[in-house]
Amino acid sequence: MKQFFNFCAVAVFLFTMLCSCAGNPPKDERELAEKAFADAEGGKDCDRENYLAAEELLNQARAEINNKNYDKAKELFKAVKEKSDAIAKYYREHPDECMTEKDKKGNGEDDGKIKEEDTTSADSSAEPSLDPKNPDMDFQVVHFEYNQYAILEEDLQKVELMAQWMMNFPERVVRIEGHADERGSNDYNLSLGEKRALEVKNKLIQAGIDAARIKIVSYGEELPIDPASNEEAWFKNRRAEFKREN
Amino acid sequence: MSVHFRLITMITVVFACLNLFAQLQVEVKDGAVAEYNMAVSPLAVLDGADAARAAEISSAVEKVLDITGYFKILDKRSFLEKPETAFNAVNFKSWLDVGANGLIKGTLKGKDDIELELAFFDVAKGKEVIKKKYSAKASLAKKSAYRFASEVIKLLTGEEMNFMFSKITFVEKKGDKYALVVTNFDGSGRKELYSTSKTILLPEWSADGQKIFFTSHEKNNPNLYSYDLKSSQIKTVSAYEGLNVSASAYPDNKTIALCLSKDGNSEIYSLDTTTNELKRLTVNSETDTAPSVSPNGQEVVFVSSRSGNPQIYRMSLSDLNKVERLTEQGNYNQDPEYSPDGKKVAFSGRDEKYQFDLFIIDLASRQISRITQNQGKNESPTFSPDSKIIGFSSNRSGKSKLFLSNVSGSRQIAVYSGEGEVLMPSWSPAETN
Repeated sequence: MKQFFNFCAVAVFLFTMLCSCAGNPPKDERELAEKAFADAEGGKDCDRENYLAAEELLNQARAEINNKNYDKAKELFKAVKEKSDAIAKYYREHPDECMTEKDKKGNGEDDGKIKEEDTTSADSSAEPSLDPKNPDMDFQVVHFEYNQYAILEEDLQKVELMAQWMMNFPERVVRIEGHADERGSNDYNLSLGEKRALEVKNKLIQAGIDAARIKIVSYGEELPIDPASNEEAWFKNRRAEFKREN
Repeated sequence: MSVHFRLITMITVVFACLNLFAQLQVEVKDGAVAEYNMAVSPLAVLDGADAARAAEISSAVEKVLDITGYFKILDKRSFLEKPETAFNAVNFKSWLDVGANGLIKGTLKGKDDIELELAFFDVAKGKEVIKKKYSAKASLAKKSAYRFASEVIKLLTGEEMNFMFSKITFVEKKGDKYALVVTNFDGSGRKELYSTSKTILLPEWSADGQKIFFTSHEKNNPNLYSYDLKSSQIKTVSAYEGLNVSASAYPDNKTIALCLSKDGNSEIYSLDTTTNELKRLTVNSETDTAPSVSPNGQEVVFVSSRSGNPQIYRMSLSDLNKVERLTEQGNYNQDPEYSPDGKKVAFSGRDEKYQFDLFIIDLASRQISRITQNQGKNESPTFSPDSKIIGFSSNRSGKSKLFLSNVSGSRQIAVYSGEGEVLMPSWSPAETN
């Protein structure tokens, strides 16, 4: 029996070692770096040296991922982000200098180059987190019937989930944004949007959340998710959304 | 003999009728207007006057007459007589031949300082009826033409109209960019007062026409601001937590009615903008909003969903218990607006086809008349200061534009269409100078 325990301890030890050596691919760092680099594209011409350096770093980082040297990759991605942010900053502060000849002419004639874009759909494997223990839980949208502010039966659980999350993270303050569809006058829809936000707020209070932690604001019909004029769009637009205040 | 006599009688009667018609000039029957054909001749351009300005003046006259719905403006291309023909040499036969009942012609002289002479002729009678000479800076040319047009309207219809001297404010929304805009009544002279990506909503004039109230989410809460047209300054008027919307001016030029939601849901309050003294006017667990104060400051019309869906109500401001419901038909009536003569209330309502249209309640008879039908979504009615014309937004031809209609709805024209959607128009008070 003791031997078995020893075996287990060794196994756990080895496993932990293995993990800490290899680690996980630095997903967050990579995402940030790739995005920052893409944002820095405007500085390609005016801050060329740094741009090329950032590109080189990014390529190295990608190679390290393939070689499973995750720690090294993580450092490189961080460097890419830092460099890219500096380029973007320069680009923002010197827009004239950074404008290419083509930009100055406006969208000029076709210069014979082929512009290639990857339009593959975004990775849908990133499931929204609905775990109220997750500090970054994704907030859900609550929907309503036309000219109504009662929460739809099937959406009550979304509010309950929100209440659980707020219980778990008592330092968080949440803003509920109420919206209406395009039908009806702007002033009435502002009131309707507010009624909806207020209804959701009251449900959270009933679930034990301190009212001081819940702010509401109505946008009426001003911020539709779908600008179309049909039932499907109107349903999407009649909503209350949760936003983090802090 | 007897047959002959009858014939003469008939002819006499026919002539009498024609004569009667000529006296009445513009005849209104069952709300429909007997058309009065007006020829507006191009102006004679003399002494180095600007031809473009001359064209602008005659089209301004046409537009003003046209929107009243009392006139049919004849096509200039059919005219037989030259614009240069002298006032005392008009060939009335040639104007009868193109079907004109009336003729307006004129001359424009000078470039920076203009001399504009305009005359109105009764074609059937072959007679000059009004002739006026206006001497002014060129920038006042259109205004001079408006004065003349309002005289012609007064003469032929008996109605005093001054809508042509006023302005309209509205919101122009393109993507997420909002602009607060002012134009002349005909959509000309666009001036952008303020723009933001944080919403501009429900602009409304102060009683003296010197300020425009509007709501914006600029500070992430729908606060009420005022824009001073003289100083271009923006001031916060009301910033309670929740809604601060739908300002409507009292005639005292310091108090406004508005909708606040600080006490739990949308209620109507009055606010003295000089002392910030606030008074709550409605107490109700359902929505009360969109107040419009009567021109004498004694009543307010507003929207309330206290009956389950939005309807128009009227409340006495001296006795807040005196509340009456003005709309019974339909279950979605909104946007009430008092006419400046205090006799009517315009509103938008959803009809049996679930489309939003404009209606007018005559407060004395309680008759409701319909202004728009089967022409897209029509919203935010606003009366001209003379209560003769209604401005509104309509998406009948795609994106939302600024439309004008006479109060019978028989004449409706688009006067402004910008890059974005034109929303929530509000007509200014009468010009004060």
